[in-house]
Amino acid sequence: MSSRPPQPEMLVRRSVDGQRLLEHVADQDAGANILFVGTTRRTTGSERTAGLDYEAYEPMAVAALERLKVEALERFALTSCAIEHRLGWVPAGEASIAVALSAPHRREAFAAVEWLMERIKAEVPIWKCEAGENGARHWVHPGDMRGAAAAGGPS
Amino acid sequence: MPVPPSSTLTVALFAGMAELAGARSVAVAWSGGSVADLRRVLGVAHPKLIPLLQRSAVAVAGQYAADTQQVATGSEVAIIPPVSGG
Repeated sequence: MSSRPPQPEMLVRRSVDGQRLLEHVADQDAGANILFVGTTRRTTGSERTAGLDYEAYEPMAVAALERLKVEALERFALTSCAIEHRLGWVPAGEASIAVALSAPHRREAFAAVEWLMERIKAEVPIWKCEAGENGARHWVHPGDMRGAAAAGGPS
Repeated sequence: MPVPPSSTLTVALFAGMAELAGARSVAVAWSGGSVADLRRVLGVAHPKLIPLLQRSAVAVAGQYAADTQQVATGSEVAIIPPVSGG
């Protein structure tokens, strides 16, 4: 185990700092370092988006992100992992999330990024409100969360 | 018939759920019961919430809770509509 300091806060109300996350996960025993940055898309279909307003059930979201991070470290034998999600207003084109991780080899690292993003999008209590350039706003609530107790419950 | 002693349960709401209710939380009369009971009580008190509530999870003490789980008075309860982070 390294003596890396604990990751600073996972939920932030400022620009996502991917470079800092990448530095945080750097390790001499890691041969693969990945930084994934998710940005708010300007165009969805024919809609033009001015930006996204993110909200979280913060204590539960932090606990869920922490749990997923620990699970990813074990499942993919990662060296290190750090996650940062922005809350509040995120203008189109700016980052809403960054996942940085390091692993001995790239295969596990790429798989872990995909796995983490899927789980974050499915389980972590964070929501976005789309604000169109035409002034329309609507909360995005895809699918059904009724199965969350089985999927995301204590294991 | 005597009314059983009852207290209130504060239910935290987020995102589209808070928008539908026009509030960040609602209080419902509660003397104990399951998550399924809470869904019914909430729907009766706030019918506008029902369609989204049917697609939402319920969190008790910061954990997703099954419909059979008991909810004690004073629990920290939140409705979690389908999430869209990332």
